[in-house]
Amino acid sequence: MSQITVYRAKEIITMDPNQPRATHVAVMDGKILAVGGADCADQWGTAVHDDSLSDAVLMPGFVEGHSHMMAGAIWDYAYAGYHDRIDPDGKLWKGMTDIEAVVERLSDQANALPAGQPLVAWGFDPIFLPTERLNRNHLDQISKDRPVAVMYSNFHLMCVNTRALELASYSAETNVEGVLRGPDGALTGELQEMAAMMPVMRRLGIDFRGLSQTAPAIRSFGKVCTRAGVTTATDLFATIEESDIDTLTRVTREASFPIRLVPTLGAIGAQPEEIAARALHLKTFNHDKLRLGAVKLMTDGSIQGWTARVKWPGYVGGQPNGIWNTPPETIFDLCEVMQKNAVQMHIHTNGDEASEVSIAALEAASRKHPWPNSRHVLQHCQMMGRDQFRACAALGICTNLFANHIWYFGDQHAALTLGEDRAERMDAVRSALDEGVRVAIHSDAPVTPMGPLFTAWCAVTRETMTGRILGEAQRISVSEALYAITLGAAYTLKMDHEIGSIETGKKADFAVLAEDPTKAKCLKDVAVLGTVINGVQHLL
Amino acid sequence: MSQPRLPLTVISGYLGAGKTTLINRLLSEPHGQQLMVLVNDFGAINIDADLLVSAEKDTLLLSNGCVCCTIGGDLFMAVADALDRTPRPEHLIIEASGVAEPSKIANVALAEPDLRYAGIVTLADALNYRALAHDPLVGEQVKGQVRAADIVLLSKGSDQALLLELAVLANAPAMALSDDISVSELLLELNPDKAPDIAAHTHPAYTSWSAQEPREFSRARLLEKLESRPSGLYRLKGRLLGPDGGLELHVVGAQISVSACEQPSIGKLVGIGPKQSLSQDAIAQWWA
Ligand SMILES: [Zn+2]
Repeated sequence: MSQITVYRAKEIITMDPNQPRATHVAVMDGKILAVGGADCADQWGTAVHDDSLSDAVLMPGFVEGHSHMMAGAIWDYAYAGYHDRIDPDGKLWKGMTDIEAVVERLSDQANALPAGQPLVAWGFDPIFLPTERLNRNHLDQISKDRPVAVMYSNFHLMCVNTRALELASYSAETNVEGVLRGPDGALTGELQEMAAMMPVMRRLGIDFRGLSQTAPAIRSFGKVCTRAGVTTATDLFATIEESDIDTLTRVTREASFPIRLVPTLGAIGAQPEEIAARALHLKTFNHDKLRLGAVKLMTDGSIQGWTARVKWPGYVGGQPNGIWNTPPETIFDLCEVMQKNAVQMHIHTNGDEASEVSIAALEAASRKHPWPNSRHVLQHCQMMGRDQFRACAALGICTNLFANHIWYFGDQHAALTLGEDRAERMDAVRSALDEGVRVAIHSDAPVTPMGPLFTAWCAVTRETMTGRILGEAQRISVSEALYAITLGAAYTLKMDHEIGSIETGKKADFAVLAEDPTKAKCLKDVAVLGTVINGVQHLL
Repeated sequence: MSQPRLPLTVISGYLGAGKTTLINRLLSEPHGQQLMVLVNDFGAINIDADLLVSAEKDTLLLSNGCVCCTIGGDLFMAVADALDRTPRPEHLIIEASGVAEPSKIANVALAEPDLRYAGIVTLADALNYRALAHDPLVGEQVKGQVRAADIVLLSKGSDQALLLELAVLANAPAMALSDDISVSELLLELNPDKAPDIAAHTHPAYTSWSAQEPREFSRARLLEKLESRPSGLYRLKGRLLGPDGGLELHVVGAQISVSACEQPSIGKLVGIGPKQSLSQDAIAQWWA
């Protein structure tokens, strides 16, 4: 018989209503054998008692239902963001709150590079620096000889120095949309959208594809998860070529790989039937720590980019309605074909018109091909109202709401995009729960940093960056938020029978915390000490 | 990087507008060019089996040297890959997605020094365009694709009123895409040295025009002349004698590019546009 190990913890929050709290958990073969007191496994025979976690509080390993693998390897580039952020190796990078600080930090990093090698940075966000716009003169202070490129946090813009402009043959004569000029007619160094950025990216060797599906990128993503207490995470909208499968399966099988990875295939680039077949093919490579088989659909853009499809009365600044990234009739086709082939879908919907079309498409699909436990998931759901949540509840559609958005962009939404009243009911977790919808909440890392406890705090407090409470009526309780980041998210991944709570029979996946989040002064400040997956410790 | 610039044409149009059919025609016509087609949509290219050499996952290889790939990931990175391919293709065609803004894609041909802008072709479906243009969900995006076009091709029938409406919206020539026309001659690079081969009478749907030009043009004078070109002229290409070296010009829709080249022995020009919006007389009179 395999070894039984009984771990003692300061406190175990199980998320199991039969036994919400415990002090001991017995683990055998990577699974939970028993939960309770010191004697919980006595019936099963001799056990080894392990006190190494006795000062920690255990929770079920957190589940991040919407993140992207590039959250790890993006740290290959220098960080230029406004907020403090921690890299996969645990180093804290202080946020830079003015341009001088950005220049100073990047100069230090440039000086550490071999001569001529480009300096590439990410995460800059001018929305938080309402001063002068970043321009090439600032970046020329970092280096005149080596190319310098600073990507903005939305990945749609970048600013580059004079050397990088020269490499791309951008000059005073260049007259291309997206290659910006100042009032004096000179190039500012700011490049907008991929068409204008591509000539620089190509010559500086910036290729986002290398930030996913390579062995280092996969491992790096695992580290990001461990730091956040996450033991199961999605890579939502993955591009997985046949040649990537080997690396993906090999790295996720490594004993040291600390998460169950759930890559969902981006539904693009083929006919719906082919995409379904491809998803089912990928599913055959699954093992304990790799869960392929679902797909991700895009529908609209983003609210802060004014590209989300919103219903009347539209954007408060009078901007035209956003854009479809997938035509509505293709959304209907995809939904029908995936449903027919029993392929679970995660559907990106930011605006309320996008969620409305997606719900209608799922309803139509379910009439043709009934699948009661399909658990398709609307992702972001930022403008959904009670009517749409009721429809989701009736259809068994799950929602994964972008709670972090409230803190990061809530003030902007109230002032610039949706206006006061609709901003107050954005990311309406309370309404979703009240209408009986299955709910998860997410970070969309690297868009915002992965951290389920922070995400939970956002949903509980609804505080914005300026300290304002945005939509008090949509707050949820701490225990509801903790459920959303464990069992709630596990349900959306169809893994709630394996993970999401600490109860007998489930995987021994734990978040190891310094204190009890239900009693902590501030949920977001609860320190993560590491994780346990399949009974194996990954402590920081 | 001494290779010639790679011309990039974007084929745009909503679902069902006939983009795939157009690309199939382009791939199978005997144009003698090595085309690379990037498909950024949900559709499938159905290549004539006689033409197909191999089909490996997302890439089709044709016996005439053409390549066709579907793009699941980033389109612009795929364009960068096309530039790095050896041998580099002779013409890059992108089938934009049914909701893409084609100008956002074609803009890369203006930004990237290794690419040459070769036009946005927007297809509209004669049977469905009007309904789509008024659709509350997609109408604006459908019309946006027409506005961005350098030429509009009407598929699935001809409709004079609609052609006029599309030409006005696009501020560009519009023509019906009948089965008997050679799409490669309209869309691929014109060759001023082979100009005599392109005889107007062989293609009832186009007006093609060519001229030998002994006069010398300064850059400024050429640009001024181009400003007043006939509106139905879709593309114009050539080399002219200049005061200090030759001038190479490429005109596609509203895009004009004039660059320095070796002094030719004699200037040559070749242009093309739909017959119904461009007459031989109009173009000859303009250039005279
Ligand atoms: Zn996302």
